[in-house]
Amino acid sequence: MTTATAYAPTTERKGPLRYSRQEMMAIAAGREIKDGELAIFGVGLSLLAGYFAQEHHGPNIRSMTEGGIYGATPIGGLPWGIECDRLSANATSFTGGLDALGFLVASGRVDVGLIGAAQVDKFGNVNTTGIWDRARGQGLGDTYTPPKTRLTGAGGANDIASGAKRTVIMVTHEAKRFVDKVDYISSPGYLEGGDARERYGFVGGGPSAIVTTLGILRPHPETKEFWLDAYYPFSSVDDVRANTGWDLKVFRHARMIAPPTVAEVEALRRVDVTGMLRREK
Amino acid sequence: MSINKLLPLGEAAQRYASDGIQYASGAGLPVGADAIAFGRELVRQGRRNLHALFHCNTQQLNLLAAAGTASKAEVGFSGLEGFGFANGLRRVVEEGKLALEDYSNLAMALRFLGGALNWPFVPATTCIGSDIQNRSAFAPEEYPATGKIPEIADPFSGRVLGAYSPLKPDLAVLHVTLADPEGNAIMIGSEWSRFELSRAAKRLVLVADHIVDTDCMRQYPNLVRIPGLIVDAVVWWPFSAWPAASPGVHDVDEAHMKLMNEWLATEEGTFRYIDRFIFSYQTVDAYLNLIGKDVISKLEDSPTRFLLDPYRKWILDRAKVEQLQAENHILKRAA
Repeated sequence: MTTATAYAPTTERKGPLRYSRQEMMAIAAGREIKDGELAIFGVGLSLLAGYFAQEHHGPNIRSMTEGGIYGATPIGGLPWGIECDRLSANATSFTGGLDALGFLVASGRVDVGLIGAAQVDKFGNVNTTGIWDRARGQGLGDTYTPPKTRLTGAGGANDIASGAKRTVIMVTHEAKRFVDKVDYISSPGYLEGGDARERYGFVGGGPSAIVTTLGILRPHPETKEFWLDAYYPFSSVDDVRANTGWDLKVFRHARMIAPPTVAEVEALRRVDVTGMLRREK
Repeated sequence: MSINKLLPLGEAAQRYASDGIQYASGAGLPVGADAIAFGRELVRQGRRNLHALFHCNTQQLNLLAAAGTASKAEVGFSGLEGFGFANGLRRVVEEGKLALEDYSNLAMALRFLGGALNWPFVPATTCIGSDIQNRSAFAPEEYPATGKIPEIADPFSGRVLGAYSPLKPDLAVLHVTLADPEGNAIMIGSEWSRFELSRAAKRLVLVADHIVDTDCMRQYPNLVRIPGLIVDAVVWWPFSAWPAASPGVHDVDEAHMKLMNEWLATEEGTFRYIDRFIFSYQTVDAYLNLIGKDVISKLEDSPTRFLLDPYRKWILDRAKVEQLQAENHILKRAA
C-alpha cells in the first residue's frame, strides 16, 4: 500500500487527509515552481506536477512542453504524450522541437524544467538510457556494449538539463535508482561534482532539487553532492538513507516539510483526474 | 495548373524506398502523427538493412526494428511516452541486432537543420559532457568517442563546444494532416521537426489524412510549412498514423498501442503482428475494416476534432482522390 496518511492543517475537514507517496512527490515538485516562471515539463508524472503548480499557486506560470505545445491545460487526465490530444485540445500555439528546446531552452530563457529519471547519482546525473550488467563490474566498460535493459534515451531531458536555469528531477526513491555513479549519463547534473559543469559552459545552472517519494535532496553549495534537505510526514531521515545507494549526508537544517493542504490535494486531483498518482505500483 | 503527385501507398514505397537507405520518419512524436502506414508497407515489401533516422521513436520504428527491416537507428528518444518502453526496439537493441545511436531531441532537430542548410556541422551546446557525447554504438571500441560529437573551439570566444554531424536522409516520409495534389501541406499539432527534415531529405514523400483542393492552401499560405516544390510524392491513406494520434483527425488508439507494443516484444509476437495487421490488408477499405468501424468512430470523436473545421470545405472526397491517383501521369508513364 503506497497510500500515506497525514493530517490536514486546515480546519475545513475533519479526519485524516489521505494522499499517496506519488501525490506527495508531485506536490513537493510543484512547490518548486514559482508563479510567473517559464517552465518546461517532461513527459509522464512531471506533467502532472507542473500543471498542478499552475492550477494551485501559479496561474501565471508560462508552461510548455518540448513538442512546442504552448498555452495548453491538459484535459481528461495525464496526457499520453507531450503532444497528445489531451494537451492539443486547447493549446494557443503549436510549433516544434527546435523552437521549444532550441529557441526557448538552449537559449537560456527557460526558468525551470521538470524531468524524470530511471537512475540518479549523488551529483544529480540522470540515466534514462539503459542499465548495464552490474555483475561484470562497473556498469559499462571501455567498450560500448548493448545494455542489459534498454530504457527510453534522453529525449529532451538532456537539453533541459543543459539549458534550463534550473532543473527539478522527480524520481521514485529506491536504492537501485539512487546510485553512487549512474551507468550512463543521459542528462548532466553536476558531472563529477564541484565546478565540473563550468568546463562545458552550460547555459543552464543544473539541478536544484531531486524530489522523490520519500523526500527532497539538494546540492551542497560547494561539492554539489546531493544531501537530504527534507523528508515527508510519512518518511524519516533513516528511511531516506536506507533507500539511497550512496552514503547520503544530511543537511543540519533538514526537516519535515509541510504536508499537503486540502487545497493542494484538490488542485492536484483536478489535474490528475484519472488518478495516475494514486495507482498501486 | 498544379502538378499531380498523388501515388498509391504501395507504389510510393516501391518507387522511393530501397534496401540499405537512410530512411527518416518519426518526425511526429511517439504518440503524435507519424506515417506508420508507410512503415507497414516497408515491412510488407521486405525492405532490409534500413538505417533509420527517427527524431523520436514511434510505433513505426518499433515495428521496423522488431521486424528486422532496420538494422541501425539514430534517435533522440527511444520510448513510447505514456505507453512505456518500445518493446520491439528494446528487444533487438538488447540482443545486439540493431545498433542504436543516442542523441537528444534538440540534437536531432539541429542535425536535420544542418542538413537542410548544407552546413558542415552544427555547434552543440547540449549533449556535451554527457555519455551521449562519450559513447557511440557505431564506434563501440572508442571511449571516449571522438567522432560522434567531437569537441571544437568557438572561434570567437575559445569556449569548448561540440559539433553535431548534419543529416541528409535518402528518403523522408512525413505524415501531414492535409496535402493538395502537388504536395503543399498543412500539419495540425506539433510540427516537431518536420519543417527541418522536409528540407534536409534528398527525397520527400508525404502521407496525408486528407487531400484538399489547392484553394485551401491559397486561403492559409502562412500555414503551409511544406511547399509542394520540395515534395516528390503525395500518398492519401486515412488513419495512416494509427494507432498513434493525428490531432484534428483522430485520437490515439490506446488499446492497439498496448497490443502492438506487447506483441512486438517477442519475435513470435512480431510475426503474429505482421500477419494479422500488415499481410491481412491490401486496400484502404480492408485497412479501415481491420481497425474497425466502432473504433474509428470512437477515435474520430476526439477533443481536437474542432481543429479541422476551418479546412473541411476543401477536403476532396474519396472518388475524386482516386480519380486523381489514376490520372497521375508519372504512374501512367511507368505503366
